[in-house]
Amino acid sequence: MVEVDGIENLEFKWGKKRGTGGTNTKVQFYESFTYDGLDYTLYDNVYLHKEGEPLPYLGKLIKIWETASRLKKVKVLWFFQPSEISNYLFVELAHPNEVFLASGEGVGLANINPLEAIAGKCNVVCISKDDRNPQPSDEDIQMADYVFYRTFDVGQRIILDKIDGKIAGIDVKFIFNQSGSLKPCSIHNFSVDEPASENAIETNGRVVMSKLNSSENQIPEDDRQVEQKPVVAENGFNHKAEENSDVKASSVKPNLSLQQEVVPGVVSESGELAKTNDRSGDRTGLSLKIKANADSKLKNPSGEEIGCVNQVKSEEKLKSVKDTVELDERPHKKAKLDNSVKVYSDKETTKCATEPCGTAKIPSKKLKIDDKFKKSTNCKSPAVPSNDGIKTGDKAMEVTRRPDSDRSKWFGELPWEESLQDAHEFGKLVLFQNLDPAYSSAEVEDIVWNAFSETCRAKMVQQTAYSSPHFGINLSQDKLLLYSSQGKLQRMLLKNWMRDACCYQIGASIVKLCCDLLELMLVRVCCIKPLVASIPNPCFSRKQSMFAGHLIVDKLKSQREMKEAVSTSHSSQPNTVEYDMAMEWFLMTERSNQFWKKLYEQQGKELKKLRVNFKSK
Amino acid sequence: MESGKQNEYAAFEEKVRRTVYLDNLSPNVTESIVRTALDQYGTVKSVEFIPNYLEPRNMPQCALVEMEKGKQAKVVISTLSEFPFMMSGMPRPVRARAAVAEMFGDRPRKPGRQIRICWLDTADPDFEVASKLKQLVKRHATETAVMLKHQLEKEEKLAKQQGETLKANYKKYEMIDSLMADGAARRLARCYNLRVSDDSGPSTFH
Repeated sequence: MVEVDGIENLEFKWGKKRGTGGTNTKVQFYESFTYDGLDYTLYDNVYLHKEGEPLPYLGKLIKIWETASRLKKVKVLWFFQPSEISNYLFVELAHPNEVFLASGEGVGLANINPLEAIAGKCNVVCISKDDRNPQPSDEDIQMADYVFYRTFDVGQRIILDKIDGKIAGIDVKFIFNQSGSLKPCSIHNFSVDEPASENAIETNGRVVMSKLNSSENQIPEDDRQVEQKPVVAENGFNHKAEENSDVKASSVKPNLSLQQEVVPGVVSESGELAKTNDRSGDRTGLSLKIKANADSKLKNPSGEEIGCVNQVKSEEKLKSVKDTVELDERPHKKAKLDNSVKVYSDKETTKCATEPCGTAKIPSKKLKIDDKFKKSTNCKSPAVPSNDGIKTGDKAMEVTRRPDSDRSKWFGELPWEESLQDAHEFGKLVLFQNLDPAYSSAEVEDIVWNAFSETCRAKMVQQTAYSSPHFGINLSQDKLLLYSSQGKLQRMLLKNWMRDACCYQIGASIVKLCCDLLELMLVRVCCIKPLVASIPNPCFSRKQSMFAGHLIVDKLKSQREMKEAVSTSHSSQPNTVEYDMAMEWFLMTERSNQFWKKLYEQQGKELKKLRVNFKSK
Repeated sequence: MESGKQNEYAAFEEKVRRTVYLDNLSPNVTESIVRTALDQYGTVKSVEFIPNYLEPRNMPQCALVEMEKGKQAKVVISTLSEFPFMMSGMPRPVRARAAVAEMFGDRPRKPGRQIRICWLDTADPDFEVASKLKQLVKRHATETAVMLKHQLEKEEKLAKQQGETLKANYKKYEMIDSLMADGAARRLARCYNLRVSDDSGPSTFH
């Protein structure tokens, strides 16, 4: 293992020159370059690592240059992940790996970045049926990391199906598939024999959005598919794989120093894909446990730091763990090991594979979340292959904070009312009953996150005088996008269920499924309250016209004209008629108070009786 | 971090103590009306209406009014309970109560509270119990809904009844008024030798 010292010293070489800057002749534009072993050309699709962000962004290089002060810059036209725009629009995906090209004018269209932020190449295939677009073959689409055919106009904030002549100043011919590019790159010839081998490498950079690798049985299919797909990215990973196997053979070292170098040869030997064989062999040998995590502690010869363990393997066994590798020392480059599915992308924190032994001491703050997450998934011992999906049984999961990061904050969150209405229209609204009324909305969001790994916005319905003191109600909207539906289902349901769920189900049925699911498998919330879910029919605020109890004498009204029609607030005096009437109302409310009290008392008794029967706590 | 949260929660609890929950508000009531109405009892810091998502549409509005001091809140509550207070319309009085934490929409988490969840398998013995509980809860919810409906109906009935009484009374007054106005009463009085005047003393008959 070669160890590279300190900060990045990735090899870099300029390629073909293009011209010099008009105003400042010291600026030199280029058409291609080699960085860290990969050749990049103008209009390539790349991953970029943004400092502080755990996951890389997807972009297209539209300008490459070196400034007078020898700084290398690239201008990147962005691709949006569906999750980034789902906050604002309902997105129906044509393909589980669909992304959207930015277009139009405004913030978020393109940015200038240092070249060093590039974290690898990405294979994005344009599947637009436009005449100008060389049509990709089915194989191309299969092997692509992402596909796109629509754009997202950042100015108007809508999705456009048609692509105009120019986007961000560049001709569309560079947006469409380049004629020469529709074939897998050499790097990707990858053959892994063992399907069971957890994806690891190949999926390293590849974000498999379609499902969460929760169950082993599913993985193999996945893997197999993936295996044939080109590995996009960071070829470093390939090597990682290789090395990993060696490394793993030795036991894991406990010290995760910042410099985590898990990935061994991130060196430029392109075209060498690790044979996962070893890895797999290894992997199976290794006790699943995320001791693998400790991998994070492995030294990475290339100096790449991996924040989180690269857990290649255990991933699959883990639930919804998204491994991301984070580089600390090398802030610009991030090797992303992402075997597991990119779950509903709101969860963008780095998560270490859950590690019962919690040895990783990754100093970033993200780790804290990881740790907690680890703890929560702790009990789901990954080594239970037969139980895909949730571990049922007596281990109670601790509900931890939902990772807060929400990358798609660009457009802000819609006010609750509006999004409630939207969600209701699209069937994404779920009503949870029987929560302890003391919970706050944030806690409910966490519960949903922990139980279903879905993010949602939740709101505890405020109690009024008539609400039952025994349970609280909560409305939550799941921002389910189609592609994640499959993941969610697979995650939640037992093997036999849903495996065949069509991945393009509309949100509504997912939610319904979710409710049905809850019928099957109950979620217990502390204080032993089974959670009841249903699809509610909320009524949205609307001015009511009638209100029992306010009487108007018509004659008077018309006499005094509207301005005096509303009586001022006052306490009425005992010598008026209204006082008498008010007394009648008082009487009535007292009576109803009595009813309510009795009703709730009785309900409480019934609940208690049943609850006593709970065997475990 | 923890202490921060504790403080936040303590502040929230304090706010709860200072807040009055108002009920039976007419839909025409706006924030400014509430504010001016309760200003006589103290300083109103904020008024927030509780949106109604799940209950039947005709429910009267409710609001949370935060007063400056807990004592002021108490005063409001006690006064409104003793004397009928009308807001934007008569005669239905506004009801005031002490607010409870659950009434607030955006409450902070309670620090130190750990929630644990777990999925139950069908085979688990608790599953049965839990499903019974679930059914019970659903039943309770429907019971509550029925109660509410019932209550609303009763309220409407009362209102209608009062309305009619009022109308009848008003008619009587009107009639008397008009009689006085157009002199019919005086004429009749002369006819029967009764004196009709404002300061009517015992009638003389002669």
